[in-house]
Amino acid sequence: MGDKPIWEQIGSSFVQHYYQLFDTDRTQLGSIYVSIVLTEESFQARNVVLYWTFKNLPFTKIAHSITAQDHQPTPDSCILSMVVGQLKADDDPIMGFHQSFILKNINEAWVCTNDMFRLALHNFG
Amino acid sequence: MAEKPMWEQIGSGFVQHYYQQFDTDRVKLSDLYTDASCLTWEGEGFQGKNAIMTKLSSLPFQSIQHSITAQDHHPTPDSCVMSMVMGQLKADQDQVMGFQQVFLLKNVDNKWVCTNDMFRLALHNFGA
Repeated sequence: MGDKPIWEQIGSSFVQHYYQLFDTDRTQLGSIYVSIVLTEESFQARNVVLYWTFKNLPFTKIAHSITAQDHQPTPDSCILSMVVGQLKADDDPIMGFHQSFILKNINEAWVCTNDMFRLALHNFG
Repeated sequence: MAEKPMWEQIGSGFVQHYYQQFDTDRVKLSDLYTDASCLTWEGEGFQGKNAIMTKLSSLPFQSIQHSITAQDHHPTPDSCVMSMVMGQLKADQDQVMGFQQVFLLKNVDNKWVCTNDMFRLALHNFGA
């Protein structure tokens, strides 16, 4: 009866929380990001930027479906997570997407320091 | 004439080298990994240079060609470089397939090595 490694537990729990938040109220996503080289002022400004960035994404409703996810521990005690999935925004056709995160433990909370997202669109030509 | 940020130069340099090496003689990829490196290949984990190279060497195709559609690079809090690649590949006479790969690069003794590598084919559960 093997437990999942800790980085898989943290990674998969973050991923679940992230997409649930994204799909229900994405304006709240700002709270999961952090940059450790910020003053209080720039932290507030950054949260406002993130709020508007997510709010202004050009769709009203969105649903993500995760096809696969992988998690690894990194040399500096962070967690690297990769997600492959599909999403549906409003009445648009379903599209594939790729996303990767780096999670870091800061003051006993796991926050996201790096986030990369791409729709799976290829140059078929 | 703005130069690309350092992490983009390192990341894109690595990515170009990686796929070129992979497509011509992937045994030489061993230079890019260390004993502390992790690879997750289609959901299966491999720890350390030897295990990684055994896996990569034993992949069941003769010829392979990668084509990069997009790549992104970030600096990370601990002075590493994170690179995400989206592309297509063709192995032997198989049909072209999409793939996704993520690398974490770290500077060890003045050399950028890959400490983390994750690869997935872009296959979805269309029925789900």
